[in-house]
Amino acid sequence: MTLNLCVLTPNRIVWDSEVKEIILSTNSGQIGVLPNHAPVATAVDIGILRIRLNDQWLTMALMGGFARIGNNEITVLVNDAEKGSDIDPQEAQQTLEIAEANLQKAEGKRQTIEANLALRRARTRVEAINVIS
Amino acid sequence: MPCSNLTMWVSSKPSISDTSSLSFRFQLNPVRLFRHTSLPSTQSQSSSSNSIQCGLRELRGRIDTVKNTHKITEAMKLVAAAKVRRAQEAVINSRPFAETLVEVLYSINEQLQLEDVDVPLTNVRPVKKVALLVVTGDRGLCGGFNNAIIKKAETRIAELKDLGLDYTVISVGKKGNSYFRRRPFVPVERFIKGGNFPTAKEAQAIADDVFSLFVSEEVDKVELFYTKFVSFVKSDPVIHTLLPLSSKGAVCDGNGNCVDVEEDEYFRLTTKEGKLTVERDSVRRETAEFLPNLQFEQDPVQIVDALMPLYLNSQILRALQESLASELAARMSAMSNATDNAAELGKTLSVAYNRERQAKITSEILEIVAGAEALT
Repeated sequence: MTLNLCVLTPNRIVWDSEVKEIILSTNSGQIGVLPNHAPVATAVDIGILRIRLNDQWLTMALMGGFARIGNNEITVLVNDAEKGSDIDPQEAQQTLEIAEANLQKAEGKRQTIEANLALRRARTRVEAINVIS
Repeated sequence: MPCSNLTMWVSSKPSISDTSSLSFRFQLNPVRLFRHTSLPSTQSQSSSSNSIQCGLRELRGRIDTVKNTHKITEAMKLVAAAKVRRAQEAVINSRPFAETLVEVLYSINEQLQLEDVDVPLTNVRPVKKVALLVVTGDRGLCGGFNNAIIKKAETRIAELKDLGLDYTVISVGKKGNSYFRRRPFVPVERFIKGGNFPTAKEAQAIADDVFSLFVSEEVDKVELFYTKFVSFVKSDPVIHTLLPLSSKGAVCDGNGNCVDVEEDEYFRLTTKEGKLTVERDSVRRETAEFLPNLQFEQDPVQIVDALMPLYLNSQILRALQESLASELAARMSAMSNATDNAAELGKTLSVAYNRERQAKITSEILEIVAGAEALT
């Protein structure tokens, strides 16, 4: 009984194959999903998705969205997803620094909201590279 | 026509001849006799033929220019054709996401109908300020594409002014940017479309902006202006109300008609009888695998909160992709017309050139013959 994971972004299908277990970051904390999980619909926060294939863990940075778990089919719809291995560490670090600087400079409600979102995204990308297991 | 010129030349001969400086005069006088309009730059003989009046050298130059232009426009047409195909693929790649999202949205909305859910993005407030999100292209040479959408935006702005509503413009695309920059309106932000193909990141940047504008109550309504791809020769600028989203999950467009979220339209590039055609298909999604025990991990409010931005994103991305496809199709057709015109012009010029060349040769021959006759 294996779990079939489908990670979809508006651009393309990022992941569409079987996995053993996943750990998803949601708005209300992290949830682990094993085969034969009860049907759940949850919002996905900007965070890390951990995928286990045969004792090896992969990380993916997700930029917020929605996940539906049911009948051994997990569908994750996110705005953007990047595999940890695809992210360039230097570039991610730079993006993080720029995002932090922008947050300092932000004025007004609108800019603060945007800057916060950008910061969280940058932070997730950096974490995706660092956290390996 | 050259023949008539020749007879004139021959008839004028008796009045000037009888001297030894015959050849010299014959060369000069025909020039003066036949020059109808003032073209002082000619160094060779000029003749009138079918309203193209210039010298041999000039004609040659013009033919070269036209040939170059022809090559360029043809290349542009082929490039645009190749890109349309890629744009098509991008739309197809984004379909799984859009389909699944629609399905999920629908099933969740059904369950939420009964509850009193308050989602910020569906807030219908009394409208005081409207944001217009206008999607244009980056480059020109695409026929009436950019103008059409900008005109539509202008019409809407005039309407809003009449209604006494305030407005602000978010322009996507260089052409729109430069247009609105030249007019001291109230544009909010200017996005330069990065690269050729719209990515989810760009759509998200725009969506974030629109989202924060709406939620911080700076605007009460967001309308999306983009060009819908109908066929290779036809594209329609349309208005689509982005926010507020109707709580039923259905979205209404500018005329108040509701576009049911269950249906999905896409266009397909196929070959029918060897010619490229476009087929517009409409797919009705059946909500597959309805999970009756679906538990919500969080508050339904939070779930819907997470879904709406996704929907917003996919709407904007879809609009960008369709706009791009329309722009490419318009460019293809404009460049195709230009190529045909260039070919025609090249032909006309060639004919004129050849005629002149032959006339020149004939007159030289006659000169020689006349000269020879005069000597004998």
